[in-house]
Amino acid sequence: MIERTPLLNLATYTVMILGAFMVFVPLWLVFVGSTLTVREINIPELHVWPGSHFFENVQAAWARGHLGGRLFNSLIMALGVATGKVVMSALTAFGLVYFRFPGRMLVFWMIFITLMLPLEVRIVPTYAVAANALWPFQSILDVTGLTDLIQRFSGIQVALEWNLLNSYTGLILPLIATATGTFLYRQFYLTVPDELLEAARMDGAGPFRFLVEFLMPLSRANMAALFTIMFLYAWNQYLWPLLATPDRAGFGTTAVVELKLLAPTVSTNGGGTPDWNVAMAGCLIVMLPPLLLVAFMQRYFVRGLIATEK
Amino acid sequence: MEKRATFSKTSIGVMFILPQVLLVFTFFYWPTGAAMYWAFTLERPWGGGNEWVGFDNFRQVFADRAYWGSIFRSLVFAAATATLSMGFGLLLAVACDRGLKGYQAFRTVFVWPYAVVAPAAALAFRFIFAPEAGIFAALVKQNPAFWNPAQNGYHAMAMIIICYSWKYAAYCFIFFLAALQAIPRSVIEASALDGAGMLRRVFDIQLPLITPTFFFMLVISITDSFQDSFGIVDVMTDGGPAKATELLVYKIYFDGFRGLDYSGAAAQSIVLMLIMMVLTFFQFRYIERRVHYS
Amino acid sequence: MLKKILMSAVLSAALVSNVYAADRVKFDFWHGLTGNLGEVVAEVCKRFNDSQSDYEIVCTSQGSYPNALQNAIAAYRAKKGPTIVQIFDAGTLDLMLSDAYVPARKLMEDNGYKIDWDDYVPAIANYYADSKGVLNSFPFNSSTALLYWNKDAFAKIGKTEAPKTWEETFDALKALKAAGYECPMGWENDTWQIMEQFSAIHALPIASQSNGYKGLNAELQFNKTKFMDYLKLFKKGYDDGLIKIKSPETGEDVDQAFANGNCQMMMESVADHGSIGKTQKPGMNWDVAMLPVMAGMERHNTFVGGASLWALQGKSASEYKGAAAFFNFIAKPESALFWSTNTGYIPVTKSGFEFMKAQGFYDKAPYKGREVAIASLNASPVTEYTRGIRLGGYTQVRKEIRDAFTEIFANKVSVDEGMNAAVERGNIVLRKFEKTYAGKVMP
Repeated sequence: MIERTPLLNLATYTVMILGAFMVFVPLWLVFVGSTLTVREINIPELHVWPGSHFFENVQAAWARGHLGGRLFNSLIMALGVATGKVVMSALTAFGLVYFRFPGRMLVFWMIFITLMLPLEVRIVPTYAVAANALWPFQSILDVTGLTDLIQRFSGIQVALEWNLLNSYTGLILPLIATATGTFLYRQFYLTVPDELLEAARMDGAGPFRFLVEFLMPLSRANMAALFTIMFLYAWNQYLWPLLATPDRAGFGTTAVVELKLLAPTVSTNGGGTPDWNVAMAGCLIVMLPPLLLVAFMQRYFVRGLIATEK
Repeated sequence: MEKRATFSKTSIGVMFILPQVLLVFTFFYWPTGAAMYWAFTLERPWGGGNEWVGFDNFRQVFADRAYWGSIFRSLVFAAATATLSMGFGLLLAVACDRGLKGYQAFRTVFVWPYAVVAPAAALAFRFIFAPEAGIFAALVKQNPAFWNPAQNGYHAMAMIIICYSWKYAAYCFIFFLAALQAIPRSVIEASALDGAGMLRRVFDIQLPLITPTFFFMLVISITDSFQDSFGIVDVMTDGGPAKATELLVYKIYFDGFRGLDYSGAAAQSIVLMLIMMVLTFFQFRYIERRVHYS
Repeated sequence: MLKKILMSAVLSAALVSNVYAADRVKFDFWHGLTGNLGEVVAEVCKRFNDSQSDYEIVCTSQGSYPNALQNAIAAYRAKKGPTIVQIFDAGTLDLMLSDAYVPARKLMEDNGYKIDWDDYVPAIANYYADSKGVLNSFPFNSSTALLYWNKDAFAKIGKTEAPKTWEETFDALKALKAAGYECPMGWENDTWQIMEQFSAIHALPIASQSNGYKGLNAELQFNKTKFMDYLKLFKKGYDDGLIKIKSPETGEDVDQAFANGNCQMMMESVADHGSIGKTQKPGMNWDVAMLPVMAGMERHNTFVGGASLWALQGKSASEYKGAAAFFNFIAKPESALFWSTNTGYIPVTKSGFEFMKAQGFYDKAPYKGREVAIASLNASPVTEYTRGIRLGGYTQVRKEIRDAFTEIFANKVSVDEGMNAAVERGNIVLRKFEKTYAGKVMP
């Protein structure tokens, strides 16, 4: 569309430049912070221009935070959550939209309700489940008397155990157990014309083939969007990895948890001196992978959300 | 909204949803159930006896002025962050949607804050807003009362609102831009041929057409603000000064896992869940309407 | 009855398996120290591992005291707890009332160690001991509050000694102000120095039932003692610009402000003695002294701060053997010397203190002055109200007091209103705690 609107264009650019400025300022200050010495950063004045200690601080943060291993853990966890979520959501939404079975609406609401209670508020019992993921089932056996029954007949006491602490499985599974992606997919499937299924049927496709060969290719953009959202969500997790990875020497933890340890607060660390310059350098390192992913995925990302959202 | 054409094999359908159901049962319902049980008992943190006390914990929660304060602050936080982040998100989306030269670069930049790790963003903003070191340092030197989030609750609240909105505006931007770009170009071109100017088109055509997205974002951002504020509050203010930034989720976390009052925290969780249910119900209605629309 | 395991799908086992040192007994120690202090703990663990070949302690920082507590609880409930955990003062009572720990004395006796329990500095031992005086946990990182003062600034106002009474302190603050110092004393709304230590020094009750030691039905009382007069005095000093609030949220925290020479006095833990020395403005002269008393009142011992080490239930006999060996190791005077040299913490036993004195530790420059902390803890025999604080939900109570301070010093409420509200809200916490542990006897 070609129109001459010089004033409006000027205003538009002004808005965009101001917006970009607001995005940049905090990021810039983090960068500047990461280039100073401990003493410089603790002097109460605003540093606008970078110092000369960037690489030393990055090195210090990398070494002290064991960031090599931690970033790897974060990456595995984020990839696991993102992939798991995409697969799980695609399957579940497919089951909910394309099938009729009793209790379908109940399942739908059951999954929907998981949107309402963030992990933070149910974290202790969740930890107990992660320590033994079969605890719920053991309890069911105990309460229904099945444990006793089995013991009476076979002489074997049922003691189910599956410890997920200090494992990628344990980091990932509880984060997948929410509804977010299911709804994105449900909305998407609902917008797919019914004719597609009829055409697929004509082709002799069963449910599985229909999902893989017809729906999946269509939902590529959704997939990219959901993948990106879930990757960021998982990468940003703080409280759950902090609890779920007590074995710091062996398994380690995630980069974000380590980041918080790099920036101790005076009231909680028993008097160690916080060196913010190293913390800021750590910030930069930890920020980088999601930024790269978003830059890379952005095209699909925006398109995937068109008309369907979340 | 229902599909007319479906598969008929029930057993296969159940198979598709079974993994999710198992997962949700194990990692959501079971722990939530345990927390609910705590809400009606007095749970000892290190285990041991717990006594059934009925609704005592709820009574205590509702009798607590601090709890009502925290509900009020959460609502203020939700309203303020929704206004700011949606306002900026929409403004930038409209600007980008004009498709002026080089807008792709701006689009990339505007999405960034969404990708910035919340604790990192919070640390950065703590620096920026530190009265003696940050951007206000010069003004604070002349008048110490000008800016002091460590003592002034309003300042602290403003600080977490700005930090959260900075991140969340990027999220709103993505959705609004997607919605704007989904409007068929033909509609806009037709109105341009009718002689409608750019601003006129924005207000008369584009904005009305994305109203469903707008409402959807409103509800989403309110529910998100309840849930996602935790990391920012934890890093920036610890709920202070004097509870001024103690939002619902932070309070639950503090009472439960810092203060070791598991039962009181569990009761608060259930109240929060009810609030979220009401909000999500509205959200759901809008999603459904949105589907009809397209 | 032996449990047979029918099914155990241990998928994660491979990730946590003991690949090396199969014959050494491994056990976990979780603590809450980070940064420099965390590194010293790691060093202590390494020294222990190097000193013998039977056990291997795995030390993990959980990031902060509250995190160490909350992670240990979560893990213990899931039967995955560490063998040893560091619990800070405010978390003591919850653990003491539970069945989750192995009493320190029992642990050592069962494993054949003879510990001279009377060797512990009384003010430290009593803080953590039960009502019969038996220690259930091992005092580990221990500190107390001191008055840090800038000698250079004091020289400017013609003084060479730290003030001994609050009256002298306020005179000095006024003189410093008059001499052009912007921040004569830095302070952050912290309850430990101003309320808890002040009450201890003057043997004022913080709560009834001997600060809670005699029963769970204790009620907060600090709003009815001389502490209120002191707080009003303090508030007036703040209003007159003699005392400045320094918090990490404003830029410099109290320690940094003192180390940079911006604030001339502060009340701070001896644990920070080392880091002040490391980060101070070059050439600055400073020293520490005991916290001042109110004129005409008798000085009592201060409270110990910091944390103690607990052995948790549910571990194997060999792990407990390792834990006992570790406790025995850190109780050695040499370990005390290493620990205190690298941190600001004080030795917890008399013999450790004597050993360090004999080594000339307190004569040398960076460590000189830390003996004041021991003197402060030993200022008097431990009495009913200087023993410690044994209140449930104390993290929440502290938060209420802190919130009240914040409001008082932001001029939102008066001193009386603020403290009365804190007591009222704190008592609600105490009553709920009492109800939660109904039927439990105070050990």
